[in-house]
Amino acid sequence: MQLQKAMSYNPRGDFLVETAQMVSGLLLVLFLWAHMLFVASIWLGQGSFNALAGFMDRYGLLPLTIVFLVLVFGTHVGAVLRRMPRQYAEQRVVWKHAKLIHHGDTWSWVFQSITGSAIIVLAVVHIAIVSFAGINVHLSSLRVANPGFLVFYIVLLLLSEYHASVGLYRILVKWGFVNRYSMKRVLNVVSVLFIVVGGVSLWILYSLGA
Amino acid sequence: MAGRELTFRIMRYNPETPEVKPHLQDFKLFEEPGMTLFVVLNKIREEQDSSLRFDFVCRASICGSCGMLVNGRPTLACRTLTKDLPDVTTLLPLPVFKLLGDLSVDTGTWFREMSIRTESWVHDDSEFDPTKQEERMDNEEALKIYEAERCIECGCCIGGCATANIRPGFIGAAGINRVARFMVDPRDKRTEQEYFEVVGSEDGVFGCIGLMACDDNCPVGVPLRGQIAYVRRKMASAGWKMKVGR
Repeated sequence: MQLQKAMSYNPRGDFLVETAQMVSGLLLVLFLWAHMLFVASIWLGQGSFNALAGFMDRYGLLPLTIVFLVLVFGTHVGAVLRRMPRQYAEQRVVWKHAKLIHHGDTWSWVFQSITGSAIIVLAVVHIAIVSFAGINVHLSSLRVANPGFLVFYIVLLLLSEYHASVGLYRILVKWGFVNRYSMKRVLNVVSVLFIVVGGVSLWILYSLGA
Repeated sequence: MAGRELTFRIMRYNPETPEVKPHLQDFKLFEEPGMTLFVVLNKIREEQDSSLRFDFVCRASICGSCGMLVNGRPTLACRTLTKDLPDVTTLLPLPVFKLLGDLSVDTGTWFREMSIRTESWVHDDSEFDPTKQEERMDNEEALKIYEAERCIECGCCIGGCATANIRPGFIGAAGINRVARFMVDPRDKRTEQEYFEVVGSEDGVFGCIGLMACDDNCPVGVPLRGQIAYVRRKMASAGWKMKVGR
């Protein structure tokens, strides 16, 4: 062992980072699903959407959510970055490898790092806009009616649902217990459902704003 | 009736003549009933090109020396029947391992290093008493050990693993399976914490990112996903219990 390694030796280090990645990932998946259900309150009408937003505003849940996101999102990005093939040489090996072995789960990992990188940018923009502008039907529908924003939200919806689905699958695969193939099917159905839920919400907001 | 004409695109490279870049060379031959890649490669070497390098010993998926990428998929050439192959088949050597030439790689050095790093021997400090009867082992346990020991060290799980391809220190499914074998062995007196020192890191079980190419490609069907999950759970419990600051 080299000197620097001996001095900074922490046998639990890798285990703790792995745990942080998993726990933060799980929390983000739960957040995403709750988020999609909350937005879907627009299905019941403008009143319920505004009431929910007002409720969250009144009891300080909005700033709490932002603090939660900064912490959990930051932890997840920090933990996951170590897994991203960073250097150019590594990138080339991974792409070559994925193309070579014709293996679905290897490709989904490549997409996982691509969607993850994209989500960092898109989610930060999304969170910034919402936290500065506030939430109500009027603001949201006007924003969604803008074609640029509409595309932005559709892309963010698809990427985050994909990323969450594959990430959850990966956790369950790694720890065992559940059958891999039936689990994949269940997760696919769940993700499609949430995409539909989000898509319909977007469409309602769009028709209100247009 | 003459069989199909098959084309084999085989990678040619000799490390001793690095000026000749690695390239694919086409060989054509007619399919015969019951033909395996073992037969194909020997026929090519006998009839077309005596310089073609590849490894075979047992031709019955026991020795694990003929692992290669068949149309990209890591598998054993001896158990691959040509009737399951398309008209054109690409053959490449297994990645990760040292390339000896054409389809031949050195898996031995890699596996020896892995054996040393995972300390693949029964650890027991107690005094050996030659007059005592051997301790009995539960049949269940013996079967679990046997399941892990079915690994023939062909290296298909390592070649197919994205992590092993970018992290030279990663012990891969073969290494983790090896550790699992000693974990279930009651004769090995290593504690959870001692195992943690061996596999509780990024180069061990926490380096696995769960792509399961190992599990999908193991030619002898060792349940690698279950073995990795077993070691991961054990090591998570060891890491959880570990005293902070030791």
